[in-house]
Amino acid sequence: MGAHLVRRYITETDTEPDPAKKYEFDPEFGFPERKEREMVASQMQMNLAQLPLEQRDYCAQHLLKLMKCKRDNWPNFLACKHERHDWDYCEHQDYVMRMKEYERERRLQLRKKRIEAQAEAA
Amino acid sequence: MAGVGFRRWAQALSKGKGSGISALLSGSRAASGSSKDTVLGPPPKSPEEMAAAAKKYNLRLEDYAPYPDKGEGFGDYPKLPDRSQAERDPWYKWDHPDLRRNWGEPMHWDFDMYIRNRVDTSPSPVPWSTMCKQLFGFIGFMLFMFYLGETFRSYQPVAPKQYPYKNLYLEKGGDPEKQPEEVKNYRNLMT
Repeated sequence: MGAHLVRRYITETDTEPDPAKKYEFDPEFGFPERKEREMVASQMQMNLAQLPLEQRDYCAQHLLKLMKCKRDNWPNFLACKHERHDWDYCEHQDYVMRMKEYERERRLQLRKKRIEAQAEAA
Repeated sequence: MAGVGFRRWAQALSKGKGSGISALLSGSRAASGSSKDTVLGPPPKSPEEMAAAAKKYNLRLEDYAPYPDKGEGFGDYPKLPDRSQAERDPWYKWDHPDLRRNWGEPMHWDFDMYIRNRVDTSPSPVPWSTMCKQLFGFIGFMLFMFYLGETFRSYQPVAPKQYPYKNLYLEKGGDPEKQPEEVKNYRNLMT
């Protein structure tokens, strides 16, 4: 909790990824094959549901299902536990993936620095 | 000028000895308002004038000091210390407790400003310099800390969130004719 801030500002200022800058490593680097992310909900569907822009992500299909369930079951506000869990789980996995991407970028930066140090020492 | 005359006339009508027209014609007037001997006089120069002015304003000669004559129109009105009524003793039995003033006491030129509802010249409980240092010290410290917070921002160790449809190009108002830059989002192999 905060170790990354110490690394970024004090100990490893050159290798720790900067959230403002774009990540410089190719997303497919190091993977034999990497599939693209599929978007299930169409733009028209999201538009009709009037989703705010922040919610039009890769979990939008679960959110649309949840909204439909809530609308159908009103006033029973305890009804849509399953749909809500699906959406929450999808968002959680998305966040975990973001954490992993950050860590991947950090490790690649460290590796790059090691290789450069080796090249200079040699 | 006309207003004063009208007031005199109305007062004469209400308080005059006769009634109606006869009061108006007899020329009597009310006892309120300033009389000839209490009206503001010219700035005093000689000691006799000073003594007469002090007596007029109900002051001792030692306490009486006129305003310096710069042509501002103060006349012989006494220059009293610029202290507000809030500084006077709250527990003493004044004739007018709200104004903290006794009957017949000379009024400050700016008396209406120095009443307790308005300007207060009371000394501050802590020296002024201490108060200034504390306030500006705190504000300066907060500004400095906010500056540090902006320079060394705190964030979660996560990559930016990925959005579909070329980063919601059309939803954010992008031109449908123009081709936006290519955005590829990849799956996480672990899920």
